[in-house]
Amino acid sequence: MTDTKTRILVEIALTVALATVLNLIKLWRMPYGGDVSLEMLPILVLALRRGWRPGVSAGALYGVVALMLGPIVVHWAQFLLDYPLAYAALGVAGIFTELVRGARTDGRSRVGWTAAAVAAGAVLRFAAHFTSGLVFFGQYAPEGQPTWLYSLLYNGSYMLPAAILCAVAAAAILPPLDKAVPPR
Amino acid sequence: MRRGVGLGNYIAVDSPVHALDPAAKLGIVSAFTVGLFTAGTFPGLTLLAVTVIVGTLAASVPISAALRGVRTVSLILVLTILANALRWEPATVALVRVGPLAVDGEGLASGVFFAVRIVLLVVGTSLLTLTTSPVELAGGIERVFAPLRWLRVPVGDLAMTLTIALRFIPTTVEEADRIMTAQTARGARFDRGGPIARARAYAPVLVPLFFNLFRRADELATAMEARCYRGSDGRTQLRESRMRPADWASLLVAGILLIATGVAL
Repeated sequence: MTDTKTRILVEIALTVALATVLNLIKLWRMPYGGDVSLEMLPILVLALRRGWRPGVSAGALYGVVALMLGPIVVHWAQFLLDYPLAYAALGVAGIFTELVRGARTDGRSRVGWTAAAVAAGAVLRFAAHFTSGLVFFGQYAPEGQPTWLYSLLYNGSYMLPAAILCAVAAAAILPPLDKAVPPR
Repeated sequence: MRRGVGLGNYIAVDSPVHALDPAAKLGIVSAFTVGLFTAGTFPGLTLLAVTVIVGTLAASVPISAALRGVRTVSLILVLTILANALRWEPATVALVRVGPLAVDGEGLASGVFFAVRIVLLVVGTSLLTLTTSPVELAGGIERVFAPLRWLRVPVGDLAMTLTIALRFIPTTVEEADRIMTAQTARGARFDRGGPIARARAYAPVLVPLFFNLFRRADELATAMEARCYRGSDGRTQLRESRMRPADWASLLVAGILLIATGVAL
């Protein structure tokens, strides 16, 4: 039997590795730019098994790895908001862990709470990217331009389908995963 | 995936930039970013552009690799220039006029200024990852953030997590590739249909990937503890990386010059 701390540390690391690999698999390219992928899924699954702290840590580290493997930095605030903060925010989905676990394993409520958790994480991640867009366009576009609209269109166009796909996938994967490899 | 995954953009060549300590490179890139955001004139940007060009040449990396990130932000660059340069029925003197639209000279200059700043930032930051392997960079980050230990931030544990993650990315890629090949042999198609159809095609790939992730985590944690891993306190490293006098000199000279350029120009 291993120490839970070491096991969680390794789970965070392998979650980051899987998120990086899933980011390489682009399911769809949106017209305004941005790719739909399942990169959020491992972070959400970990957050829903282990709670928000490991979820936030995994998200922040995934942001750092994304930066290390191919950084696109156009502004110092965008650097913080689009990488460590956006993905760390995703891990906040873990505040729903007990609600998801406490719900009936075969009932609707478990699916509902999973969807609510994914929505919470995705909305927070979107908020970080949206703010980053506001900062970026606010810095580089002249006054009077609808910067919020650019940011909303760009970030919303890929975040919404990705979040829906992740909610469905998380609801499908979590019950058999918890049964096969219980989070000790 | 099967056509080969270009993971990260590190290019392993022998160059003075590659030889610099990762912590020194992190410091220089930070100073470059500060210089870039404090520079308010074209001469300032030109001097900073010269440092990027010199850095790229000294690093012996292909120019195309250094400019790869620029392609990604090309739409942002065009939008930045257009949003600043184009005016609708302007009151000011216009350079070019097409119907109610006009190109404003002052706006065009500021658009180009911002676009050049974005290009320099993208190329400058990518030079760090082009010349430093992810594992070396993780070691550098650990040393740069080591003082945060005093604030009880578990820097060592975070660095260990980062190192394991980087080590297991290739393993996970291979595993995903193997499962996808097996599913393709059974008739699965991953490149047809919309996002929902594609996501559904990936379901038989995702389930084993997640099961293996958590099983492997259990095995790896057991293996680490069997080798007496007890957290980051007192952990030593096989290859200790230290800042040499040349690294300190490069950091100080480049850092001061870059920030001074930004502040003065």
